[in-house]
Amino acid sequence: MAVNTARVQKLRKRQIDGQSLKRLVEAGMTWLRTNQQIVNALNVFPVPDGDTGTNMSLTLTAAYNEIKDSGEKHLGKMANLVAKGALMGARGNSGVILSQLWRGFARAVQDHETLDAETLVKAFAESRDTAYKGVVRPVEGTILTVSKGIASGTEAGLGSAHDAIDILEIAVKSADESVKQTPELLPVLKQAGVVDSGGKGLFFILEGMLRHVYGESLDTPLISVHALSAMNFENAMQEVEEGQDYEVVVDFFPQGELDLPKFYGQLEEMGTSIQVGEGDGMYRMHIHVPLEKRYEPIDYIMGIGTITKVAMENLLAQMDDIQKSTAKQPLKFATVEPGQIAVVVVSPGTGLSRIFASLGVAAVVAGGQTMNPSTQDILAAFENLPTDKVIILPNNKNIVMAANQAKDVTVKKVAVVPSRTVPQGLAAMLALQPDGEVDAVAEKMTKALSLVKTGEITIATRTVEIDGVSVKDGQVIALLDGKLVVSAGSVDEGCLGFLEKAGAMEYEIITLFYGQDMPHTEANRIADIVRAKYPKQEVEVQEGGQPHYQFIISVE
Amino acid sequence: MGEDTTSLGGIHVSPGAIATIAYHATLESYGVVGLAPKNIADGIVKSITRDPSRGVTVRYNGEDIDIEIHVIVEYGTRINSVAESVGNTVRFHVEKALGLRVNKIDVHVAGLRISNID
Repeated sequence: MAVNTARVQKLRKRQIDGQSLKRLVEAGMTWLRTNQQIVNALNVFPVPDGDTGTNMSLTLTAAYNEIKDSGEKHLGKMANLVAKGALMGARGNSGVILSQLWRGFARAVQDHETLDAETLVKAFAESRDTAYKGVVRPVEGTILTVSKGIASGTEAGLGSAHDAIDILEIAVKSADESVKQTPELLPVLKQAGVVDSGGKGLFFILEGMLRHVYGESLDTPLISVHALSAMNFENAMQEVEEGQDYEVVVDFFPQGELDLPKFYGQLEEMGTSIQVGEGDGMYRMHIHVPLEKRYEPIDYIMGIGTITKVAMENLLAQMDDIQKSTAKQPLKFATVEPGQIAVVVVSPGTGLSRIFASLGVAAVVAGGQTMNPSTQDILAAFENLPTDKVIILPNNKNIVMAANQAKDVTVKKVAVVPSRTVPQGLAAMLALQPDGEVDAVAEKMTKALSLVKTGEITIATRTVEIDGVSVKDGQVIALLDGKLVVSAGSVDEGCLGFLEKAGAMEYEIITLFYGQDMPHTEANRIADIVRAKYPKQEVEVQEGGQPHYQFIISVE
Repeated sequence: MGEDTTSLGGIHVSPGAIATIAYHATLESYGVVGLAPKNIADGIVKSITRDPSRGVTVRYNGEDIDIEIHVIVEYGTRINSVAESVGNTVRFHVEKALGLRVNKIDVHVAGLRISNID
């Protein structure tokens, strides 16, 4: 952005009085507020007193509110009002320090009607001194260090400065250098690959003032490109914003010059915590996005350059090991009123049980291919439900028999919908009407079974030839509705082979339920391959948690 | 207190150790210029203590840790915000170092130090 030199010339001729200070404070406040999220993102300590950027911004806003209606011309009196407002509104550690800086500043200028270079240098020194007095054991590498850097930088520059604007320029430069030094002084910053947040906030305040002098805009966020080495997200304990569950990092070479403002603009529509780094022509983009938008940044960047690497991480899992915690969480089953139909399903994995629970089943019996539940297990699941209408979904052809036996030994009115696979069971659940009659509803659910095609991807345990497909022990095989259709060298091939046999092109939704031995990232990678092949179909990935089967696939 | 049993034996953390952590965390908090011995009653603060167990009281009833801190605050800072930061910082450092939950932290502002009169 170009500096408005005519404006700077004009301002240089003017005296800086109380009203000028008011406009400078407003500019500092606006610029800090604009860049508040950048400062917040630098928080290293998860101390629950809020974010540094927010605290500093609120403190300065309180200071500005104190003066915004004041017509005071006297610089010293105006500065006193600022200090008073900052003191009353001080929030959090950084806010208290900021108020102390203003207090020192006000003390230094209290007898001055206008601000000249020398007074401003003194004021920076007094700010530093006052701030340092407020703590027994000053920690270096913080906002305190930055205030020291500003004071010594401006003191050294006083000889060559003509006016207060020159000093402000030096102050901004010194603050910038000092902020960049903070990781060298405070190891925890270096580990996290960030600079000190409070110091950065102070820098933004001064820079906002200078931008006001230059006539530059204050409400467009700073577009920052870091050095690649300064980007280290793994250790930065950033808070995860609600709904922004995925962290996506993309390395890429842009085609031609990267239009940063546009790039940022596009990314801001997708997510938050945006950072961009550059080194040797390669760019690295970091963003937090909601689950359903996790592929958008990748698609977008693919259009403007060549991607070399993509990393995606579920931040919730990162923070809280989501898989463990949700596995332990008791499932919430639908509550059944007397007279309603209760559905009991057999589910081979925790993830699938959770999905069934979300669809409104009343009870789940654990079981599947190699762990068939007994009649007794199934009976126990529904005997105590407060209704006498029950529908059972066995979800496996080997369990249909046990389910039928359970029906015979109970006095309740039971129907078995002969679902042979999990996707069939899910399809049947969608046809459930809890308030209907058992037989009629079971018939509808049975009809729904044929609406879905089921794929099961697993590893062959012996060498065999069935239905014209020859399989070697250890190969990946795919079953379509229980029949062997494909043998393949890899899970990717197996999935694609199955989808082709299932005629997936003619269907709308492909859901991949990944098994307990399949890492989430690997499942996502394979889903991407499927997406590339079936761009018109909606491809979903769900945690199934089933043993033996790498994937259970539903095509509907 | 803070008992933990491993296959090699028990681990016991004394209240004094917790007090030391709290003491250092307090002194690093902005706005605090010292701790005050709590037994000097009625808010008259005679000396600023450097002994890590004075000015900090730790109570442990088998489940919860309660910490009481008596501080001297720099005159001219917003006392409310300073006391809040002390509470947050002490909680963070004690919980990080010990992995034990801190139930309550009471910050008593025992006095102010005036280094500049505006």
